[in-house]
Parts: sequence; structure tokens; C-alpha cells
Amino acid sequence: MKGRVLLLALIALVPLLAAAAPPAGSVNEDTVREIAAQLRCVVCQNLSVADSPSEMANQMRGIIRERLQAADTPEQVVAYFVEKYGEWILLSPPPRGFNLLVWTLPFVGIGVGLVAVLLLARRWSHRTARLPLPETIDPAMRERIEREMAELEP
Amino acid sequence: MIPEIGYAMTAVALGLALYGSGAAAIGARWHRPALIQSSQHAALGVFVLILAAMILLVYAFLTFDFSVRYVAMNTNRGTPFYYRITALWGALEGSIILWSWMLSIYTLLVILRYRSRHPEFYPWVLSVMLGVLAFFLLVMTVPAPPFQRLTPIPPDGRGLNPLLEDTGMITHPVALYLGFTGFTVPFAFAMAALITGRTGDEWITVTRRWTIVAWYFLSLGLLIGGWWSYHVLGWGGYWAWDPVENAAFMPWLTGTAFLHSVMIQERRRILKLWNLTLIILTFGLTLFGTFLTRSGILSSVHSFTQGTIGAFFLGFIALILLGAFGLVAARGDRLKAQGELDSILSRESAFLLNNLMLVAAAFTVFFGTIFPLLSEAVRGVKVSVGAPFFNLVNIPIFLALIFLMGVGPLIAWRRASRENLRRNFLWPVGLGIVAAGAFRMLGVAHTLALLCFGLVVFVTATIVLDFYRATRARLRSGERLLPAMGGLLVRQNRRYGGFVVHLGILVIALGVLGSNAWSIQTETTLRRGEAFQIGRYHVRFDGLAASEESNHFKVTGTFTVANDGRVLAVMQPAKKFYPQEQTPIAYVDYLMGLREDLYLVLGDFARDGSQATIKVQVNRLVTLIWLGGLVLTLGAGLAILPDRRKA
Repeated sequence: MKGRVLLLALIALVPLLAAAAPPAGSVNEDTVREIAAQLRCVVCQNLSVADSPSEMANQMRGIIRERLQAADTPEQVVAYFVEKYGEWILLSPPPRGFNLLVWTLPFVGIGVGLVAVLLLARRWSHRTARLPLPETIDPAMRERIEREMAELEP
Repeated sequence: MIPEIGYAMTAVALGLALYGSGAAAIGARWHRPALIQSSQHAALGVFVLILAAMILLVYAFLTFDFSVRYVAMNTNRGTPFYYRITALWGALEGSIILWSWMLSIYTLLVILRYRSRHPEFYPWVLSVMLGVLAFFLLVMTVPAPPFQRLTPIPPDGRGLNPLLEDTGMITHPVALYLGFTGFTVPFAFAMAALITGRTGDEWITVTRRWTIVAWYFLSLGLLIGGWWSYHVLGWGGYWAWDPVENAAFMPWLTGTAFLHSVMIQERRRILKLWNLTLIILTFGLTLFGTFLTRSGILSSVHSFTQGTIGAFFLGFIALILLGAFGLVAARGDRLKAQGELDSILSRESAFLLNNLMLVAAAFTVFFGTIFPLLSEAVRGVKVSVGAPFFNLVNIPIFLALIFLMGVGPLIAWRRASRENLRRNFLWPVGLGIVAAGAFRMLGVAHTLALLCFGLVVFVTATIVLDFYRATRARLRSGERLLPAMGGLLVRQNRRYGGFVVHLGILVIALGVLGSNAWSIQTETTLRRGEAFQIGRYHVRFDGLAASEESNHFKVTGTFTVANDGRVLAVMQPAKKFYPQEQTPIAYVDYLMGLREDLYLVLGDFARDGSQATIKVQVNRLVTLIWLGGLVLTLGAGLAILPDRRKA
């Protein structure tokens, strides 16, 4: 029974919280969304403020609207959140300092891999003498060869 | 008493698995068929005991035995019947039971199929599989016992995580774990190959279909997970790059790489070392995923628990990696490539690049997922690595993969002549460019969207062209159309099964493209009777209703959706208030269509029902993702048919 009372209290509280934020529509909603998509909803597991259906995200969207209304630039709004919650609030780490590692390492890896593939190709191709490929085959013959090859394909 | 019996069963199963693993190894080493036989019996015993333990746990759930901690944590008297059964795998302890049970099924299947074949490999495979099984049984006995008692016995349980009360949560874990555990079979064969020194192609040909099964179930698990996320979590998306999603995606990526690179070894005798590395990594990543999501090391939807479990998993992963790579090093002399690679313009190198990209994607996901830990350890600053990062870094990689998907199956082995390239790619490349151009003229300005669409058309064209040519060749030899096409599919089921899977992936890619490029959304507050327009939909708010369900309190909004004055649907998104949860859970309502979904999430509302805030999304082409899953299923089914060529 106690749970139920709490529940009702909770339900009663929801509209109150909502009233604190300015209504949607008084600023450009696309800008709000753009900013919200970069920020992490602080109570959610891994959702952006733009996506999260939670009450907290709703309030954070409200704050974004408020600050935009107060003539903040989008950068200032983001900076405000970073100042309040730390770098953690940003869903992708700003590419500077130590964070550069996470941005560049995947591509460094691909680069190293490409070089490795090329080197392997070179090394392995020297293993046996190359057989010259016949350049011209009778089309009917080729059709037949290809069909029979195809039957053997994995 | 029953929980104690259950616990005893898991403990005995652990003993049997350890014995069976050892007996099979000794039997293999010193050629004692009796010991191998005995090991088989032990495996059967393990299967029966885990099954019995599972039944006992389900019984505890059905009878509300809250003296069992796991039952008390994951159910309460209001939990509906079905979810009391699926609550079995609603959290860590039960998931481990499900996992080991599936592994024991795979073990039995391996026994049934191979007990009189591959005599050199078989006992070692049995030994490895029972060894892995023993680890999970150890987890079940020591750090995460599902039958642990709770004192004092609470009058009611805490209840299942409300997000898990969904049909997707019945099927998702089953498919996912069938995928995870399925990779144990090729891994065990790889280890057997290394132990016996028979590092040729045998282990690869034997496990080809097992790998496809595991890969397919893992894909299905991921897709059902996306479906669940889309229609339960209420954020309007299907993939959030959450650590738990990443954990399942990483083995999928390396498993996909493995599936492709084994073909190169089969045909060209190269990449032996690489294939072993890939299967070890894939198997290691299935364990790592569990470690990541279940140890509580990262906070995420699925991390319900914290405890010593992390140390167990980390230790086992270290053991597996050291052991496996140790074996690889010991057999290094036998792993030298015998074949050769003639040209960078060849199928071999297309497959190598495919592998490179898949592994790069896996690495990106891995590094991005653990980077917050690294940053905290090194800089002492917590950072987040989320969707914007993963999308940005992975999109070029995935586009390259789609491109290679078109090139790989058609480019010639060894060395592609100009003639081969012209013949196979001139038309598809042309079509891709024309399609992208047409799209541009239709007003699509997004470069990535154009590129992706062009690539999808290109790959589809290569597949259609190949199938057309092969059919034509058969027609020329006097077959009729349908038998010719059917014959192709059945006789070359590997090739065309693969193509159908590729088509499925392309359909999914279109869905991902569409939902990212063209979805629209808005959030608005409506008074009762008020309406607004989004896309082609006219949405009217008709009021709120409250109801009491068996285990929660529900507030339902009613919205009438019309298009050009014609009523399409009455939609009822809701908010559910669970006593055990601090915040309400959104209950999404959506109108599904091939072209677009209308997706409603109820936000705040006035208590008297006079007004409500609603988040409305028109999600474009999301349905293609689920359809792609169906196509993928067909393709995997085709690829898995027994090989007819030898018959």
C-alpha cells in the first residue's frame, strides 16, 4: 500500500516538474535537438538528451531552450553543460589531448593493416614464378569454364 | 530444500564437466577409448543436471519461492505467468545457467555427430568444450549461485526489471546465447587442430556450418535486440552503441571476418595463422562481452550486478588467450602459408581487405567502449564515448565493407584481368553511379546517403548479374527457367546462400540509411481535443485514462491519427509506474509501415487529463531492418544446407 501512495505522489509531481521548463516551440527546435544530440542524458544508461524519453532529459532540453532564449550561442550552451557536469556529458570526447588517441587509433590501425596486406601480397607473390594467363579464350569455351568453375565455387 | 538440491546439481555438474574434460584429454593422449566413452557419458550427465537445475529454478519462480535470492530479486507476486518463466534469464545468475545449458546442447550435438568421425580431433574437441562448460558451472557454483538463499524471507519480491517484460526479451537472449555459445564449436576444433598438430584445412571444413549457425544466431540476437530497443525503450532508435550492444557486436564482426577468411584458406592454403587468430579472438570476445556487461565495470542497461564475477571472467579470458596463443606459437612452424598471393587485384586481396575492415571496426568498437576506463585511469577524467563518435568513425569503414561485398564474390582468384573486371563490374558500377545521380536529382543532397545508396545498388547489381549469367548458362544447356534457378540455389547453396545473406545486409543498410537520413521528430504539448500535423499525419489528443495492472499503474493517452480526414488508427502510448522503479517506464505505440513508422511516446501530462506532452517521430524505412533480418535468415538457411556437390 505504501508503494501505491508513493506512486501517486510521484504522478502528482510529474506535471509540476514539467511546468518549470519553458514550452517547446519558442526557440528553433532543430537547434535544440542538435545540441541535445551531443549531450548525455545524466540519468540514462547511454542515451543522448535528444533521444531519451526520461524526465531528466526533458528538463535538460528545457535548460537548452532557456539558454538559447537568453541569447546563448549553441557553443555556449554546450560549454555550460560541460562546466556543470564535466567532459563526461559530451557523448563524443572532444578531439584534443589524450582523447586524440581514441579518434586516431582506429585509422592508424587501418593504415598499418593496409601496409601489412600490401607487404604480404608482395612477399607471397614472389614465392612462385608467375604463370602467364592466356589472354584470349573462345567465348563459348569461357562460358563453359566459368559455369563449371562456378559449380565448384564455395 | 529444493534450492539446496538445485545447488547440489550444479556442483555435481561442475565435477562431471571437469572429469569429462580431463578424461577426454587423457583418452586422446594415451588412446584409451573407454575414457573417451566415459567422457561422453559425463557430458550427457552435465546436460541432464543443468536442465534439471533450470527446471527447479523455474519451479521456484512459479511458486514464488522468495527464499531464493534470485527469485526475490527478479519477480514479485504481480509478475505475469510467462515473464515468471523468462525471468529465469532476467539477470546474471540465470543467464549463466541458460548459457551453460546451450553449451551443453552444442556439446551433445558434437558428440552425436562426430563420435565416430575425425578420431584425432574429436576427443580434444570434447575436452575443450567440457572445459569451457566447467568454467561456466564454476561461475554458477561460486560467484553467482542462482539458488542462493535469502534471509529473512521477504513477503514479496522486488520484481522483474519492467523493461524485460516483453516478448523480445523472451527470444533475444536465447538467440544471442545460441550465437555466443555456438562459436565454442569452431574454437574447440581449432584448439584440437593445434593440439594434434593437424593444422591443415580439416578443422575449417568440419566447422564451416557450425560457424554459420553461430553467426546466424548472433545476427538474429542483435536484430531482436534492436527490435526490443526500438519498441520498448521509447527513444525511437534501435541501436545506441551502448556497451552491452557493442559487447555482442564485436564477436559478430570478428566472426564475420572468420567466416570469410576461412574460404581463402580452403581455396588457396593461405591465412592459416590468421584464421586461428580470428576464431580465438571471436571466442575470447564472447567471453569479454559477458565480462564487460555483467561485471558492472561499465554502467549499462544490462549491468545489474557487481561482485567477484568480473575476476572470474577476466581470469578465464586470460587463461584462454594465453593457452590458445601459446599453442599457436608452439605450432608456428606448421602454420606457414603454402599458397601464394599473385596480385592486389584478386579475390584473395579483396577478402584480406574485408577482413582488415571488419577487424578495424571491431577494434574501433572495442577501443571506444573501453576508452572511458582508460581515460579515467590515465587522466583521472571521465569521458563518454557514445553514438556520435561510433557513427563518425564506423561509417567510412562500413561503406568500404559494402563496396568490398560487391567486389569480393566476383573478382577473379589470383589475378583479375582487365577483361574480368570489365565483364563483372562495368554494368554494376554504372548502375550504382546512375542510381546515385538519379537520387541526387530527386533532391537528396546528403553526400553520405548518396554514396551509401549508390554502393547498395552496385552490390545488388553484381549479385543479380552473377545469378543471371549462371542461370543463362544453365538455360543454354537445355534446362528450363525455374529448375535452372532452383538447381543453382541448391547445387551452389554456399555461394548463393552467401549472396542472399549479402542482400539481407543490403536491405538492413538501406533501413539504417533511411532512418538516419530522413526521419523527422517533434515534441509538443497538446490540450485535450487539440491536434497537430507531422509529415502526412494529423494527430489529435483525445484524453488520458488511468488503470491498475497486476504489477503496475498505467496512464494511457489516446490519440487519433488521420491522414486527409481519413482515420488511420487510434494510438495509445502510455506511461507505466512500477513501485520498484523510481521513474516511469514509457510504453510506446507505433504504426508500422514499409515506408515509415509513426512512433508516439507519451511525455508529461496534467493529472486531470486536460493536456499531455507527446514525442512524435516519423521513422523512415526502419521496417527494412527487420525485413533484412528475414532475408538474412533465408540466406543462412540456404548456406547451411548439406553440401550437395559431393553427392
